[in-house]
Amino acid sequence: MKQKTTTKTSYHIPIGPIHPALKEPVFFEFEIDGERIVDVDVKLGHVHRAVEWASRKRNPIQILYIAERICGICSYSHPVAFALAVEDAADIMIPERAEYLRVIQGELERICSHLLWAGVAAHEIGFDTVLFFTWQVRERTLDLTEFLTGNRITKAITMIGGVRRDITKDMLPRIQKDLDYLKECYGKLGKIFLEDKTIKLRSQGAGILTKEDALKLCAVGPTTRASGVKKDVRVDTSYFAYGDLDIDCITPADLTGTVNGDVYDRIIQRLLEVKQSIDLIEQCVDKMPAGDIVAEPKIAKLLAQLKKVNGEGVGRHEAPRGEVIHYVKLDGNDAPFTWKVRAPTYNNILPWIPMLKGEQIADIPIVAASTDPCISCTNRVGIVKDGNKYELTKEQLHKMSVEKTRRLMR
Amino acid sequence: MAEKRLNPEELVKYFKDEFKTNIKNIQIKRRAAGKKKNETATIWMKIDKSAFKKVIEHLCKLQFPHLGVASGNDLGNTIELIYHFTLNSGKRMEEINLHISVELPKSKPEIETICDWIPGALITEREKMEMLGVKIIGIPDDRKCFLPDDFPEDVYPWRRDEKGLEKLYKNLHEVKK
Amino acid sequence: MKFTMLPSVFAQMFKKPWTNKFPAKYIPANTTKFLADVGAGKAKLIPPVETPPNFRGKIVYDKEKCIGCQLCIKVCPCEAIEFKEKEKKIKIYLSRCCFCSQCNDICPVSCLSMSDEFLLADVDPYSKDLIVE
Repeated sequence: MKQKTTTKTSYHIPIGPIHPALKEPVFFEFEIDGERIVDVDVKLGHVHRAVEWASRKRNPIQILYIAERICGICSYSHPVAFALAVEDAADIMIPERAEYLRVIQGELERICSHLLWAGVAAHEIGFDTVLFFTWQVRERTLDLTEFLTGNRITKAITMIGGVRRDITKDMLPRIQKDLDYLKECYGKLGKIFLEDKTIKLRSQGAGILTKEDALKLCAVGPTTRASGVKKDVRVDTSYFAYGDLDIDCITPADLTGTVNGDVYDRIIQRLLEVKQSIDLIEQCVDKMPAGDIVAEPKIAKLLAQLKKVNGEGVGRHEAPRGEVIHYVKLDGNDAPFTWKVRAPTYNNILPWIPMLKGEQIADIPIVAASTDPCISCTNRVGIVKDGNKYELTKEQLHKMSVEKTRRLMR
Repeated sequence: MAEKRLNPEELVKYFKDEFKTNIKNIQIKRRAAGKKKNETATIWMKIDKSAFKKVIEHLCKLQFPHLGVASGNDLGNTIELIYHFTLNSGKRMEEINLHISVELPKSKPEIETICDWIPGALITEREKMEMLGVKIIGIPDDRKCFLPDDFPEDVYPWRRDEKGLEKLYKNLHEVKK
Repeated sequence: MKFTMLPSVFAQMFKKPWTNKFPAKYIPANTTKFLADVGAGKAKLIPPVETPPNFRGKIVYDKEKCIGCQLCIKVCPCEAIEFKEKEKKIKIYLSRCCFCSQCNDICPVSCLSMSDEFLLADVDPYSKDLIVE
């Protein structure tokens, strides 16, 4: 992937850091031959905020809220993975009810994230009516999140050893009402994404990631599952209440019978996961036992307990974009000795290279967006100092993408 | 790709037989969750630097592992790298977490790359190079990954010694009150 | 060719927009003047969308109840709380607050609570509205 010397026939296009199709800063350098992409180089680090460094002056309770601010969309996955790691290190068992409540919050976040992605994907190919429709549905899910946790995005629901807010009996009808609405809209959304010619034209056969590449490059989440690799933390391990629930690893083959690993498969994959999430929330609401929601309600006591711990732990949680890993080492001080965050996009960067090779320039937005990249999560960026290069702005690129759709429609 | 599923005990036995004294501190932890208390196994092991590449080779031949990430600790005299692998994915609740830790002396923090076996390790190895100052021998791409290109030489943010970030750090969070 | 979105688009044309036109139907030329007018009773404000129960807004501090134990300072993730040595009371800078309500949870005498006030934008981070004491 080192920058190759330019030959006479090919030329370079830098795209980013402010932004190709991504809504976040990442820098691509493409080697182009005519309309075809020959080679890709990705540079990261433009939004490195040194989150792990900031943790050195804070105790685990304070870190929960830094973790929440790693990413706006996975604002539940990161703190919960951190809490899992701390619970693993300190050997805290969380109450059963809290495990079910954690599943509900996690799946609600997955629905929000996948719907947001579906809207962005439609926007990238110039299908803006679908963008507004999916985001209208997402708005209802956000309202439900707000109802359950107090705020729309920064949920502040996680606590080490449990959750902070219970779901009481009088909240259940509202949850059921919104889930019914979601199911109704899910049917409509599925029809648009699976039957509409425009979407098929642009996504089928584009950005293929083979099963072998997905395995070798250690891709995670819907990106790897859409290539046919069965890897899902919720299915493979027993954490929270997922061990009790009826859940199966989904691949696009469940709907279409074959796995191609293209953008279309990644769309199907996410849509199927939305349905799975609705089902999981319903199961949780049914099976939820009564009891405590947090292992140690007195936070001052919890902090004193954590201060005595000497050990290390790893927390793994299936975030909407894939597996998130937090590693924590506690050494008897207020602040943890080490805290390492691995966001899902970190592993989904390398798969971009085989996906983008051989595609056209106009396919860059949708292929790059198809892994649902979250660069803030991965928390880094790159800078181009060479001012002489021909640069495409985001608007031009978006326009090219829209034009390609029009061309295909004719 | 090779596919041979072993349970945690078999896996530990396999590595013990193969590497003997090069593997230390093997622990198998199990953690239960949910109402049914299903368990997930986690294996922690510490291996000698000299055997590291061989262990990865054996692991890849046994079953291609998924490398989550490598994390690092500065332990004073040594730098510890922990490679977080997962094995046996795809079957309901059969996955094993495997954490392999290697300690490198600070006077010569060098380790061989595993990119030839697991190409997906590239980004995490580049991160270890810039953040901890570990030299990865034979890495296909040794540019900086997350830090800017003009970042000072010989400063490694995750170190806790004189090569750490302290001198660059400003207390930005202190505001006038 | 199939246009799956067309029925929804037509239906949308005859629906009332979902947007709540807060604070006025058309953007006022001068917002500060508009707000002053509202204060004086000359103009009318379109109310914002209702906040849900348990919303985390501006912190309310009951100074009488506070025992000065400083536990809230220990858990505040953004160092928004300052301890006043002389009075043994606290001072909260809302411009730094991240509204996690962790201080509410840890307070042994529950002298802190969250209100539903969320219109806290200000040009000066140290203005009177943004300091709770």
